[in-house]
Amino acid sequence: MGDNSIYQPKLAEVIYIKDEVTGERAIKTFHVQFLNGDGFEHACGQCAMISVFGRGEAMISIASPPLIKEYKQFSIMRAGRVTSAFHELKVGDVIGVRGPYGNSFPIGDWHGKNLVFIGGGCGLAPIWPVIQTAVKTQDKFNRISVFYGGRSARDIMYKTELEQLRANADIYLSVDKSEEGWHEYCGFVPANIMDKAPSAENAVAITCGPPIMIKFVIQNLKKLGFSDDRIYTTIENKMKCGLGKCGRCNVGKDYVCVSGPVYSWDKLKTLPEEY
Amino acid sequence: MERILDKGHLLDWVATLTAWEVFAPGFQDGIWGYQPVSPSAEVRLEHSNTVQPPKNFTFPQREVFFTYDQIKGEAPKIAPIHPKPKQRVVFGVRPCDGRGLTRMDRVFNEQFQDSYYQTRRAGLAYVGLSCNQPTGPNCFCKSVGGSPVSSEGLDVLMTDLGDRYWVSSVTDLGLALLEVGGSIFSEPAQEDQNQVRATRIAAVSHPQRAVQNTAVVPSVLKESFSSPLWAALAQPCIGCGICTFLCPTCHCFDINDENASSSPLRGSRVRTWDNCQFPDFTMHSSGHNPRGTLASRLRQRVCHKFQYFHENFGVLQCTGCGRCISECPVGIDILSVVNQVCSAQVNGE
Amino acid sequence: MSNLEALRDQAKKLLAKGEVRAVIGYRKGSRGMAAEPVVITRPEEAATLVWDPTCFHNLALYLVEDQKRLGKEKQKADKPIAIVAKGCDARAIVVLMQENYFKREDVYILGVSCETTGMVDERKLACLGFGTLQSASFRGDDFVFSTVSGEKRVAASEVLADRCLECRAPFPKVHDVVFGAEKARSLASPFAALLQFEKSKTSIADRWEFWQHQFERCIRCFACRAVCPMCYCEECIVDSTRFVVAPDTTAEEKANRLRWIERSATQSDNMGYHLTRALHLAGRCIDCGECDRVCPVRIPLRLLNTRLEREVRETFGYDPGASVDVASFVSSFRDNDPGNFIR
Repeated sequence: MGDNSIYQPKLAEVIYIKDEVTGERAIKTFHVQFLNGDGFEHACGQCAMISVFGRGEAMISIASPPLIKEYKQFSIMRAGRVTSAFHELKVGDVIGVRGPYGNSFPIGDWHGKNLVFIGGGCGLAPIWPVIQTAVKTQDKFNRISVFYGGRSARDIMYKTELEQLRANADIYLSVDKSEEGWHEYCGFVPANIMDKAPSAENAVAITCGPPIMIKFVIQNLKKLGFSDDRIYTTIENKMKCGLGKCGRCNVGKDYVCVSGPVYSWDKLKTLPEEY
Repeated sequence: MERILDKGHLLDWVATLTAWEVFAPGFQDGIWGYQPVSPSAEVRLEHSNTVQPPKNFTFPQREVFFTYDQIKGEAPKIAPIHPKPKQRVVFGVRPCDGRGLTRMDRVFNEQFQDSYYQTRRAGLAYVGLSCNQPTGPNCFCKSVGGSPVSSEGLDVLMTDLGDRYWVSSVTDLGLALLEVGGSIFSEPAQEDQNQVRATRIAAVSHPQRAVQNTAVVPSVLKESFSSPLWAALAQPCIGCGICTFLCPTCHCFDINDENASSSPLRGSRVRTWDNCQFPDFTMHSSGHNPRGTLASRLRQRVCHKFQYFHENFGVLQCTGCGRCISECPVGIDILSVVNQVCSAQVNGE
Repeated sequence: MSNLEALRDQAKKLLAKGEVRAVIGYRKGSRGMAAEPVVITRPEEAATLVWDPTCFHNLALYLVEDQKRLGKEKQKADKPIAIVAKGCDARAIVVLMQENYFKREDVYILGVSCETTGMVDERKLACLGFGTLQSASFRGDDFVFSTVSGEKRVAASEVLADRCLECRAPFPKVHDVVFGAEKARSLASPFAALLQFEKSKTSIADRWEFWQHQFERCIRCFACRAVCPMCYCEECIVDSTRFVVAPDTTAEEKANRLRWIERSATQSDNMGYHLTRALHLAGRCIDCGECDRVCPVRIPLRLLNTRLEREVRETFGYDPGASVDVASFVSSFRDNDPGNFIR
């Protein structure tokens, strides 16, 4: 039996590492390039199980858009054992990547609409490929706006890229508490949304961030008139196999690694509140 | 193919199965378990049921996926490990455990095909033994769509007729096993037909404990997510792994890298059984735990067996073997749990 | 009034008067003969309490669970919690108090005496072929079992659990109230099972081979650890990559956690787990025998724990769980403690 099993990763070399956020809650962005021309294509929202051999695997959203074929981007916050192993990587190190797993954002359904992206903390990464795809194929979509906040200015990731985006989209940044040198909104992301009150007319909202943020964002989006089928989010759960078999990541009958992570609110609200 | 096998000739049949590794229930170290049968050994099908289900044959506690060998800065050498088990025949498998295999098939054979499971499954034959009476006080196969004479998941089904067995092949593999035995078997006579019919009728009509209103259990459980009963019923739970590890259909697992040396890095990526009842099964690195309470973990197990699996595959995952009830250290009784939660929901409590 | 009636009465009074916030006890289970643990909070529930030879569980475990819950919810209990405790269980409660897990006044001990008998061993009972049993009760030196075909009376010594045959503490000496008398017993000698094992395997090589075989069979269900009141560590050495994660636990702390024993149920890792656990229980294990009873593959774990208990008694003269006023084994040192185990 020569074929690789579903559990065996492909090998990829780290070709680029950037410190997005240093110190506490550190986030690093990695670009990895498959060895031996051996890769896979992915759709926006999908994830991959990436591993540092000897340390373990973690399911991370693929943060690069499908348009980019040369590498895959992952932005990883150092949270525990495996993510710490990622943060020790150097350019040139070889890791394991298997995927793509999960479902994807139905971007094709959103042509001609206004897209309202709402991210918090490291949650900008899972929706970043959608933002990039929308901006690069801007003729297909209407207005693009991005709401994004971090605990502090230090915690904001993709700073350079967000500045570059201002040419094509409305960018509304925020930090939780006011700090010196910060001139944009001070307060939580859900509050920033109410402050700017994006119109729900012909619009789709896509959000990702800490569970508590998502909860209040959805509440506020509904106050602004967004219908349940026009609100999309990605949820996460502890995952090990990514294949709907290890039994760990389920929310009700759905394995998040297979039926998710992308959910519209009208689907997510039918699942038990256990995530 | 239907045949009669004299009990005295059971070993003769086993002796013809030289192309297979043969396993049969044996009593060792104080419990019934599946033991390899050496050529001269006895095979007695007098067990109630084994403590551990036969799921180890297709889903072992430890499965090595691949080894890695990495010098720092270089690409690792990955050597996939593929199981190459000899063909195996397991005697004495009860119908509940045969059905259990079909449930595992849904998990491992559909969507992403698990080659480890499939390889082990392909070379495996179950020679089942129907239950003339319930093997224990906690059997409830009938109320979960099974039966003491079901052949689902089995390759051969044997029925005990006292001094002989009625032996029927169920699959092509089972047929092959009978054909290898050849003239050790005899053609069933009319009295054999009569007796097996009567035995099966008696077996099926034997009273068992039961799930109430099985047909509506999945939908009633769906409405019972917030029932306060979960916490009350889960209270004595000690959070061990007995119910899941002894269950013929539980399949939760973990994947870890086990290092033999760190420099150069050498080790294996290994799959091991895991268990939704362990407290940090679902705990995120941040400490957030969606199922951090005993109530939520009990609800998860029960609903997975009686609701979620049904929603996904159209069949209940539980096959009524009763092991989790008999072996739970504190007597948590899945039947009682399902019945209580559902009746409370229906009665608007 | 029988012991059981008196127990129910007392539990009812304590709850009705609001003197305790709950009573941890036993009630009839749903799966046949055996009792099951229960925590009751209302006086009328006291009528469901039972006390019979199937009350094998060490309820001290639920005191630990209660304490952990209070800690997690950052609550302080305003009243004590009551617990039905056999002789062995009461000693477990004492050990927990010696280790400051809770104070004496936090627990109201409803002691129950096993008198001249104790708990039934279901496997020994199964060998008698009585079929499906509906209930079990104490009757002097005997047990009475009710079956579909009537009552069966058996000398308790035939079906008593090994731990009860050798019981070193049938009467809960530490109690607030006790039901049943302290009676003289003439069952097997202490450590009888261990002595028998040692006689049957006299060489280290034989014993090692025995244990290697046993640990090959372990499926790492952790029932032994889960059922033990003294295994209360939230961060067990076996699961050292999973441990208490507080909001302020840093990524570095989590990353630096070593994995001493793998998840795989290999003989070597299983051996590491069991031997470590036995050593961690030395001087603390009071031989309630629950670990042995619950093991689904019947590893004779009592042999490990009683081996160390005998060592603790013989070498240090220490009696685990005897008195709240005595320090715990590992935290006490006397000038005349022998040092001959360190060469």
